[in-house]
Amino acid sequence: MITPMQAAAPLVVLGLTVTAMLTALAIRRSFATTTIIAATGLFLAAAGIPWALAARASPSPSLFNLTPDALGFAGLILLAGLATLTFATLYLTRDLALPREEYPLLLVLATLGAVTMATSAGFITLFLGLETMTIAMIGMIAYPRDRPEAEEAALKYLVLSGMSSALVLFGIGLAALATGHLTYAPLLAAGPNPIVLTALALIGAGAGFKLSVVPFHLWVPDIYAGAPAPSAAYVAVIPKIAVIAVILHLLAMPGSAVSPLLASAVAVVAILSMLVGNLLALMQENLKRVLGYSSIAHLGYLLVALLAAGSIGRAGVIFYLVTYTITVIGAFGVIGVLSRAGSARDADRIDDLHGLFWHRPLLATVMTLILLSLAGIPPAIGFMAKLYIMAAGVSADLRVLTATLVLSSVIGLFYYLRIIMVMALKPADRTEPATGTLAIPLGGWLTMASLGALILGFGIAPQSLMSLLHAVFK
Amino acid sequence: MILAWLLIIPLLGGLLAWPADRIAPMLPRAISLATLLLELALILPLVHGSGTAILSTPSPIQSGHWLATFDARWIPTFGIGIRLDLDGLSWLLIVLTILIGLFAVIVSWREIDHGTGFFHANLLWSLAGSIGVFLALDLFLFFFFWEVMLVPMYFIIAIWGHEHRRRAAIKFFLFTQGSGLLMLLSILALAFRHQQQTGVLTFDYVALLASQPTGRLGMLIMLGFFIAFLVKLPSFPVHSWLPDTHTQAPTAGSVILASILLKTAGYGLMRFAVPLFVTVAHHIAPLAMALGTISIFYGAILAYGQSDLKKLVAYSSIGHMGFVLIGIYSFNAIAWQGAVILMIAHGVSTGALFITVGSIQHRLHTRDLTRMGGLWTDLPRLSSFGTFFVIASMGLPGLANFVGEFLILRGVYAASPAIAVLAAIGLIPAALYSLIAIQRAFHGGASAARHTHDLSARETALMLALGTAVIWLGVDPQPVLKIAAPSIAALLPITHAAAIPATRRGT
Repeated sequence: MITPMQAAAPLVVLGLTVTAMLTALAIRRSFATTTIIAATGLFLAAAGIPWALAARASPSPSLFNLTPDALGFAGLILLAGLATLTFATLYLTRDLALPREEYPLLLVLATLGAVTMATSAGFITLFLGLETMTIAMIGMIAYPRDRPEAEEAALKYLVLSGMSSALVLFGIGLAALATGHLTYAPLLAAGPNPIVLTALALIGAGAGFKLSVVPFHLWVPDIYAGAPAPSAAYVAVIPKIAVIAVILHLLAMPGSAVSPLLASAVAVVAILSMLVGNLLALMQENLKRVLGYSSIAHLGYLLVALLAAGSIGRAGVIFYLVTYTITVIGAFGVIGVLSRAGSARDADRIDDLHGLFWHRPLLATVMTLILLSLAGIPPAIGFMAKLYIMAAGVSADLRVLTATLVLSSVIGLFYYLRIIMVMALKPADRTEPATGTLAIPLGGWLTMASLGALILGFGIAPQSLMSLLHAVFK
Repeated sequence: MILAWLLIIPLLGGLLAWPADRIAPMLPRAISLATLLLELALILPLVHGSGTAILSTPSPIQSGHWLATFDARWIPTFGIGIRLDLDGLSWLLIVLTILIGLFAVIVSWREIDHGTGFFHANLLWSLAGSIGVFLALDLFLFFFFWEVMLVPMYFIIAIWGHEHRRRAAIKFFLFTQGSGLLMLLSILALAFRHQQQTGVLTFDYVALLASQPTGRLGMLIMLGFFIAFLVKLPSFPVHSWLPDTHTQAPTAGSVILASILLKTAGYGLMRFAVPLFVTVAHHIAPLAMALGTISIFYGAILAYGQSDLKKLVAYSSIGHMGFVLIGIYSFNAIAWQGAVILMIAHGVSTGALFITVGSIQHRLHTRDLTRMGGLWTDLPRLSSFGTFFVIASMGLPGLANFVGEFLILRGVYAASPAIAVLAAIGLIPAALYSLIAIQRAFHGGASAARHTHDLSARETALMLALGTAVIWLGVDPQPVLKIAAPSIAALLPITHAAAIPATRRGT
């Protein structure tokens, strides 16, 4: 009786968590209670993954793909959600004029959507997950509603993601028309007729939007900059894990040979993303915008590994995704612990980090590690991730892509180094700390320190992470 | 295990020094000194005892006769290991690194007055990175250290440098990191090519020595290494980061850059770029020699035109490194001996020159030659040491640089007389800028009255030590040559000596 549900344990736990939170909110509004339920739910769902991995069969193979791969991505989503929840709890302080209780609920709901997406076996589940995630994220972006820029960002995201969802839905409709099925396999098996190609292009555009690669990237900087820091971290990381999980699932299916035309289209997208992302990031004064453009470039790097295929390429995609998750959540986390939802804006100007090294050496060290990791410089984990991507590119002999990767990484150094430079400026240049005298609670320190330890630890000894990923994603 | 300690001790020392300035600003300096002295005590005994036997019997690299060795697994997924091996060449350069590190600590005793803890942490970490570069015999590990030593150096320039430090620091980082990525591509290509041939993915140097790629692919892979080392050396035309970086770095930073970081490039050429690609290296030799010769003249002529004393010293480094480059690409054992000596001699004499410039700047608050003049009357001790080191760097017989330059010219002549003649002519402009610098800085009358103090006891002792080293190396270089000889015999592609005349064509 329990066996068929065993593999679906994370989904079940998340569903129960949402219900429990709604019930708790109906009885008594308490931020502490909802947060604890959310954290427990996310933690239990993540802790249930090893147990779910032991299951033999999926309860509903036509709806859910509960293979070890998909569950591994679900685990990554859950852990990322947990980390974001920690920052959000510190960010939504007691003195906030808004009710805080719904934020954890939205976060868990979006995570449920993302996990559904990552474990989807057909278009119905995919679309359900996609919409659950997107709608909840709009709420997260607009949460500090007394900030006009947050509302603006949410509205933009609503319109644009609605647009991309419509495209995906149209694509799904065409796929159903061409194959008569709502699962992935028939579409991949179908020959290259115009309807199938149109369907793939429309669905691909939707995926490109969520992955924020060029030319679907225009929303990224505005929405990262407008959203409150924890929501920006969430939007920057979780949907991308979910989409990559689906793409890797599709690529691993039998008969899913990537046509040369598609491969060269993705290669162009990758090259443009690497160059555009890094070049536009050069001129930004806002840290969240820098991270936005930088994430465009990073997804470009990731596409290189995706195109390299083979075992190194696949492992490279997964390793890079894990690195990206840790690093980007850390970067928004630094902004998050220096800001509060109650203030007019986040501490997200590069100038806000002025002299951080001398006021808060620990935080500055973690931020330096994060930036080194984003730039791909040892001893941070990002270097090992870049090693993976470059190894994949070199072993698959993708010369143009690898050369672009090297060139754009050098461009990228400019703006990462500039941020480090601002942090290292002497405090004497200024009378008071730019980051204010905001006290950072213990939880914030602990989360930042552990993210820093992960970045440095896996950067020096990456084998444990590689072995773990190898064990899960065979 | 000793080799692992050589890396761990400065890393730990840095971690200790960083927070130590909260207790007392003096403490980080003391920790750095103690760390480096401990390092010295670890490494010095290695050439005695059983070391003498190993050094007296030249043997190929594959036979595994090392002064000390360390091997551990690191990233088995990629066949990457922590392989550290010490031979005579590495020993010499590591001893140089530690000694120069000690001088750098002493120099910054007064100059660095804010953030001493973080400064000394960075100093020790960059030294650890260089020691790692000199020890690593796994190509990936080598690259890891190659990159790791940049980050602390970047901080040293960016935080404690002079007026245009931010620009200089970024320029330094971009040049070295960009060329480094090319080298990483080459390392990966080499390893994957080896995997295609043998089925084993490894980054182990000794295993990859057997690979010897040739043809167009071999040339491309080799160029990745070659360009990265040329940038770091630096050689014309990829030198433009050096003058800016040197000028803007604090004294200790310039000393470490000139005396240690530039040497990693010469070492890299000798250890990797030539032995891994014997045939292709011979093909590129004419180009390398031409670039080396251009660097000799270019460095000297530009040094002559500088009014900033620190920039003058920086440009002179380009010339000296040009000699090292032609020496290495002459594939001649005597020239390689000369290159090793010149690298060490340049490390000591140019390091001393940067310390001199630093002392002048500390006192006059300028590096501008036009505002100096007549220093001898005000600062006789500083000026006489300065003159001595300028002359040493110029290559006066009896002093260290001369031995190196002479041996290089002697060896290069055997391979390519034309290049040797040209390079020897290049010594004339070098003498010109040296003498001009002495005249303008130390001689003549002072433009304004100065109220300043001459070298303190600490500075005098430092200068004396460096001066002694320059004289000792110049008079009795034999011990150094003896230690370097087995490594050179193992690394230099003697078997391809027949190919050397082919390099004459290009000259």
